[in-house]
Amino acid sequence: MIQEIRYASLAGMAAILLAGCASTVTMEMPTIPEPRIEKIPVDVAVRIPAEFENFVHVEEVLGKSSWTIDLGRSNAAFFTQLFGHMFDSLVVLGPDDDARDYQFDALIEPSIDGFEFSTPGQSQSDAFAVWIRYRMSVFDSVGNRASTWTVNAYGKSQKEGLGGGDSLKRAAILAMRDAAALIIMQMERVTNISQLANGPLDPASLEPDPAFAGTEPQSGEPASVIGVFAIGGIDDATE
Amino acid sequence: MRRNKFLLAFVGIGLAGCVTSRVEDARENVTGLEDGQSVVIMTKSYHQGNETEKDYLTCVEKALGSGSKGIKVVPHQQFVDRLFPWFEPRTAPADTKGLPALMERPGVADAVKALGVRYVVWLDGDTERVAEGGSLSCAAGPGGGGCFGFAWWQNDADYEAAVWDLDGNESAGTVSADVSGTSFLPALVVPIPLIARTQTKACKGLAQQLRAFIVQ
Repeated sequence: MIQEIRYASLAGMAAILLAGCASTVTMEMPTIPEPRIEKIPVDVAVRIPAEFENFVHVEEVLGKSSWTIDLGRSNAAFFTQLFGHMFDSLVVLGPDDDARDYQFDALIEPSIDGFEFSTPGQSQSDAFAVWIRYRMSVFDSVGNRASTWTVNAYGKSQKEGLGGGDSLKRAAILAMRDAAALIIMQMERVTNISQLANGPLDPASLEPDPAFAGTEPQSGEPASVIGVFAIGGIDDATE
Repeated sequence: MRRNKFLLAFVGIGLAGCVTSRVEDARENVTGLEDGQSVVIMTKSYHQGNETEKDYLTCVEKALGSGSKGIKVVPHQQFVDRLFPWFEPRTAPADTKGLPALMERPGVADAVKALGVRYVVWLDGDTERVAEGGSLSCAAGPGGGGCFGFAWWQNDADYEAAVWDLDGNESAGTVSADVSGTSFLPALVVPIPLIARTQTKACKGLAQQLRAFIVQ
């Protein structure tokens, strides 16, 4: 009996010690305030990719602890709010929605290219830092790629409390706000998205998609259309 | 009875560490605060390497707004949200030269007017441990425990507040606080902490001087 109690105590202590080495942070829905800007006069659709429904990132700190940040649907909420504030009208498409069923001037497909964070122990400071790299692909109403844009965002928050989970959440929210600020300030200049309100791009003026460099267009189709089809965008041209 | 009060006061003074402080201002323009006008306290961007602590900002906000001579302070997060995205760490103006263009952006001047903000105060600086020494060891056993030794550390709090007047879109001047405090921890069985509240002293000193600077 005493032996069993001893084993149970040891197992309990081991469980407590192991639990102390891993931290999980679950993000709440971010709120992007209404920006002080003039809306861009374009009817936009945004396709929320499947990864935005449940994005989880794990960071292993060598020899110390592991941190898991569960962003959940926060990126989906973030882009829905942001584009709702930025454009005249917004349609939100799910990963399986067919874009041909909707009316819009431009389709934006955001994705996460990279997500990293550092803990105070790693950076030898008293702050958590989060880096997010978003890729924004913009298409016209018939699926021609208008532009691709990478947005690098950064957020930093000083450690508060014992665990630091709240500080990591705050750093992630600050990184999202940083991305929002960049997108608001530079979207029009970088992507010329407002020009898509005048109609789709002239296929003759399209340049081959760099992502498909070296791929021969098939049966006279413009290279950009093949590119859009390949990433799961609009596939009008395949009909 | 009287002896006890003296003893209590003596112990109270003894339990605090040593603090030296210097607070000063440099005025560039005439200031003043009318009824309904308010102040917002911000920290300079971490994109520029600033490390001002969040609790220091909260302390200055509270200290400026409290007391019979307190002035109206708009919470910084409310200001940042209402003017989104123009006061985010990446986008906030680095100097007053950018203010006229910022005020001409859609809705910015209206939001500032609605909040009644006349002055934006930008905090820069932090509190750092600059020296430490001594040694302290503690032990515990079945019969009890205790500590023995002596430890000390010195914190320096250097902060500067740049005051921008949104009425004229110009700099009104700066207020700075330089506080140094040494804390001691002697232990003979029981440790007796003699803590120098360096950051709090820097907060209260800066807030007091800021209030005088703005109200005149």
